[in-house]
Amino acid sequence: MSRYYEFFCPVKVIAGEAALEHLPYELTGIASVRPMIITDAGVRAAGLLDPVIAACEESAVTIAAIYDEVPPDSSTTIVRDIANLYRQQQCDAIIAIGGGSSIDTAKAVNILVSEGGDDIAAYSGAGVLTRPLRPFFVIPTTAGTGSEVTSVAVIADTERSVKLPFTSSFLLPNAAIIDPRMTLTLPPHITAATAMDALTHATEAYTCLAKNPLSDAYATAAIRKIGRSLLAVMDNPDDAKGRLDLAEASTMAGIAFSNSMVGLVHSLGHATGAICHLPHGLCMSLYLPYVLEYNLEDIREPLAELLLYLEGPEVWSATPASRRAEATISAIRHLRDELHHRCELPRTLRETGKLKEDQLDAIARQALDDGSIIYNPREASLKEVRSILDKAWG
Amino acid sequence: MLESFSRSTARRARRQYVGMMFRFMGHALEAISRFDKTVIDEASALPEGLVFQMTVLPAGPSLAVEHTGGGSLRYLGSHYQGPVDLSIRFKHLAHAFLVLSFQEKTVEAFANDRMVVDGDIALAVRMTRILNRLEAIILPRLVARRAVKEYPSELGLLEKVPGAIGVYRRVAFSMIRDLRKEGLSQ
Ligand SMILES: [Fe+2]
Repeated sequence: MSRYYEFFCPVKVIAGEAALEHLPYELTGIASVRPMIITDAGVRAAGLLDPVIAACEESAVTIAAIYDEVPPDSSTTIVRDIANLYRQQQCDAIIAIGGGSSIDTAKAVNILVSEGGDDIAAYSGAGVLTRPLRPFFVIPTTAGTGSEVTSVAVIADTERSVKLPFTSSFLLPNAAIIDPRMTLTLPPHITAATAMDALTHATEAYTCLAKNPLSDAYATAAIRKIGRSLLAVMDNPDDAKGRLDLAEASTMAGIAFSNSMVGLVHSLGHATGAICHLPHGLCMSLYLPYVLEYNLEDIREPLAELLLYLEGPEVWSATPASRRAEATISAIRHLRDELHHRCELPRTLRETGKLKEDQLDAIARQALDDGSIIYNPREASLKEVRSILDKAWG
Repeated sequence: MLESFSRSTARRARRQYVGMMFRFMGHALEAISRFDKTVIDEASALPEGLVFQMTVLPAGPSLAVEHTGGGSLRYLGSHYQGPVDLSIRFKHLAHAFLVLSFQEKTVEAFANDRMVVDGDIALAVRMTRILNRLEAIILPRLVARRAVKEYPSELGLLEKVPGAIGVYRRVAFSMIRDLRKEGLSQ
């Protein structure tokens, strides 16, 4: 594999203690003094805007506008409203603070305020943008999506009820600011689900068809940090070092999968999210072990290698080489069960209580049409996808 | 002098090969969508009137097919200039040659960033499955194994040989017809 590959990540990463206080310097360094903040009500309620605003107060930067009503599924109307606010307040940069939805919304707003106009749908697709956009910074408040380092955004067009994809390297932010303060107050079940999303990004990047040596390095480093810190953070939510580990892992896994893509776990997750509105990270946790089992004979070697990163050198050397791939799957199942024990993160589709068994056919059909299925090492048929769903049902 | 002459001859041969394969695939897609149930099922989920184009940047060769409804595909020729709903564009002729000479699987080409997809990605996934099925049926098993991710286990000789003969016969007819037309118009 990887006779040929491409790898690209131009995002500056600003990470660690007092990282937020670097933001004003970064902004003024590119002559931006009137940034707009795009976030959601939950982030504001959790007091997460305060340290960002405080960091800017002692600087030449003025927060010129704050939009704090991004919903979990953002839409073209919201993007248009925020772009209008940006123009009214004569802002000159965007700071997204939040999870996947706020970050995707901010990427789309940046297209409108840079390219002009009101119709974001006109920029949908791949390769439509041909020049850099306005200064853009991302401060993630969940440790999972990796959206701060991906060049895609998805926005719902509610009038035509379609999801518009946007793909361009110009959507990438100038910098991602990873500060442990931003994820310290994440509730346990969100910490768990988003970390499982990051684990899935890294695992799929490492085992699917577009894997390459550079993304492998990011994927394994991410898995090592998740293996070391996820349960520690679940037991002690104030563990700032562990929180930073998870946030860094999320960004590294994001860099890995934005270059190597993801596979069938994500095809199933996207379909389940669309049909039953189950949170993405939870879907990842539910499907990951079964998809790895399904792919096993095609991914035995890379999966065996992952045991070292997930469980550490002692377990790795104590496990016979021929059993390591299976041991990796067992370790992931064990992690899932431990998370259930600590925060009742469902272990099966049935346990979620959010879907009926007769919806599985629809999920299977939709998963077959998901773009990420192309990168899955095995060519899954409808019957095979359906049988994975049966196993995940529980 | 001699070297640059042979290089340009090799390039011309490669371009002609890719053009010929596109033409063959176009006719074969049309033929296979008349009788292979798997292809008909996959294709009938495509919007009616959808035009799919596979091409090589910057200026071809290319192939275009239209879904005329009910799972039927119609080959629109190698010089189609009208609007396209879904396109897969190889970044360079060399990449198209790798795929069309079965040195690189279609999915590998996706994974290796050899091509740019424009349009609904769900439809691109479906179209890739149709192309895989076409290759599995018309190519000798050994070559087909190199072209597709997983050779369909249920595809026995009984299904394959009549299928392949049917495709080749139809393709041969329509290619001869095309060549005649081109011969007359020149
Ligand atoms: Fe994900």
